[in-house]
Amino acid sequence: MSLYRKKGPLIVFLLPAFVFLVLFLYYPFIQNILNSFSDITGLGSPSKGLNDPWWANYATLFTDPKLRTAMVNTVILTVCTVVFQVGIALVLALLVDSIKVGAQLFRTLYFFPIVISATALGLMFNLIFLYNGGMVNQLLQALGIISENVDWKDSGHFRFTMLAPVMWQYVGFYFVILVTGLNNIPADLYEAAALDGCTGLKRVRHITLPLLRNVLCTCLVLAITGALKVFDLPWVMFGAGMPQDQGWLTGTYMYDQTFNRGNVDYGSTIAILIVVLGVVLSNVANRVFKPRNDI
Amino acid sequence: MKKNRLLAIALSAALLLGLLAGCGSKSNDNPNSGNGGNQGGSSVELNVVTSYGGDDGNRKQYEAAVKSYEEATGNKVLDASASSNEEWKAKVLTDFETGTEPDVLFFFTNADAEPFIQAGKVVDVATVRAEYPDYGSNMRDSMLAVASDGKNYAIPSSGFWENMFVNTKVLSDCGISVPGPDYTWDQFLKDCQAIKDKGYTPIACSLFEVPHYWFEFCVMNNGTLANQLDIPASADDAAGQKWCAALNDIKDLYEKGFFPANTLTATDAETVQIFGDGEAAFLIDGSWKVTHFVDNYPENLENFAISYVPAKGERKASEAIGGISMGYFITKKAWDDPAKREAAVKFVEHMTSDEVMSTFVTTEVTALKNGASPAGLNPLQQAAAKANAEITGVVGAVQDTISSEAKTDLFANVQNVVTGAMSPEDAVNSAIALN
Repeated sequence: MSLYRKKGPLIVFLLPAFVFLVLFLYYPFIQNILNSFSDITGLGSPSKGLNDPWWANYATLFTDPKLRTAMVNTVILTVCTVVFQVGIALVLALLVDSIKVGAQLFRTLYFFPIVISATALGLMFNLIFLYNGGMVNQLLQALGIISENVDWKDSGHFRFTMLAPVMWQYVGFYFVILVTGLNNIPADLYEAAALDGCTGLKRVRHITLPLLRNVLCTCLVLAITGALKVFDLPWVMFGAGMPQDQGWLTGTYMYDQTFNRGNVDYGSTIAILIVVLGVVLSNVANRVFKPRNDI
Repeated sequence: MKKNRLLAIALSAALLLGLLAGCGSKSNDNPNSGNGGNQGGSSVELNVVTSYGGDDGNRKQYEAAVKSYEEATGNKVLDASASSNEEWKAKVLTDFETGTEPDVLFFFTNADAEPFIQAGKVVDVATVRAEYPDYGSNMRDSMLAVASDGKNYAIPSSGFWENMFVNTKVLSDCGISVPGPDYTWDQFLKDCQAIKDKGYTPIACSLFEVPHYWFEFCVMNNGTLANQLDIPASADDAAGQKWCAALNDIKDLYEKGFFPANTLTATDAETVQIFGDGEAAFLIDGSWKVTHFVDNYPENLENFAISYVPAKGERKASEAIGGISMGYFITKKAWDDPAKREAAVKFVEHMTSDEVMSTFVTTEVTALKNGASPAGLNPLQQAAAKANAEITGVVGAVQDTISSEAKTDLFANVQNVVTGAMSPEDAVNSAIALN
């Protein structure tokens, strides 16, 4: 037992992870902060010194119209994530939980998109929303809903085309978490409720949702923080701000500035903004959706 | 208890060693160590990056050439080629900046290469020839690209031309004859309107991804062959006004509805496909696209021809963009590695040999002393050769003379100019500020 009372071995076990974090997270993060004040015109190029004034990039954040677009789109994505990803996952979880046969099949089916790489999904959705001969356009034309091809990536449609695949990809993730939460609700509670005449939607409203609160809160916090990091799927489908600089997200804009335009210091500044946004939003989400210990 | 303690210490040590193992630097000083060198009889793994990736028209020829190199030398080529676009160029430059450059690179020899040339990351031809006198000896030295320091770094591959491809079936259906070397801009606008009225798309072009083809020719249409490569200092000087006029010409075509309806969101592959499928009439593209049509439309090659980009002002339609803009570089990293030096040199020599080059060159410019001997030209290549025979002037692309950042900015803003979200003057000034 003395081994467990001594803290020394614990430190030895924690050290590798700590070293890893310092090397690959904290050091780059601090370097990134320094870069955001510097003048760097190429990835890997040495800094030419501090910007003049040193806060120039932070001032640009407030005047850059593309960043404003990126922020708006990211907020919309976050809201949609909460409403649609978690919302649809909850509905699906409740439905699957109430069926006796095939629940395992649905779990596998809904979770499946998570294991496909975002790049592959992006290419697949590019084909689905293709202007000439894309699946959606063909289907709508066959049904007589449209007579001419619709450009699903133009100004009028790009948000739907960008958000739908992202929503679709992660619904299964929250679905599995919520189904697991539902399985943890004791069956005798439902039986007792049924004896009192509480069934169907009433049962969901008065028993399932209150007992699922903590799991739901966890899902919401994960969804909000996850939405800020969305990059790969929109990048594959929309590239650099398509259409006409209206399709930027904070992640894609940071990548474009850093890797395509060599504007490393400004890219670093956007990265700081993303971190600050993430910390603030996750704190707010944690406070609003704080799990309760009395459940 | 002692056993537990020992176990804990052993596990921790293993974890730490596992972590630190990845941080060690690998030394390749010993030619027979690691992936080995062919001096020791073992094969060398050569990291190669080229633009012969994806749907590049010469991909098949490139793969065959790599295979024959591997068979001849026993070396292994780790190919990380991709299709050439601004993103690919940025990635290659980033690889150099982060120290993950390949051993051999097939890349642009113009201003795009200056960052890694100036950083001393590639080895110049003279240095290679000091040890391997036959390196690139089958090339005309006068056609080797000269870097800003006056040295040659790349062994040129095949050159290129950019000109107008036409879909003869679409033109015929619209009652329009294939344009000749006297094709004028006014006639082109009339033809485009007739094609549009007939329900076809006049011009296949993605202004989102590849506006540079039209930009180059529109700049030429607003200037001369002689001043094509002038770089503006601002939108107000002569070169700047020429660029603005070029952007306005593209805007005019866009407003007239001559580009595909989704030109601002389509990829190059999508718009090339509508041309290939007989839904669009005109396409400005390069010599590399010939092979694309040969591979993808072998049954309908007679539907395509190479014609002339319409001219206005002092330019003649028979003047085109062309030259040799790409070549093979050997990186300093490979040169300094005794295990890879010879393998890299032999690879470049193989890829630029008369025999291999003749499989790439069909109608393009070549730096080969003996010229290329392409065999069995298909009808489209014959059409290209015929059109090229009537070319009266060739000049390099002006985009190749500005920095990658300036180019990215300029072409990203074409979509904003044509939609009126930005003035041509602002687009030019924004790009020049980054040059």
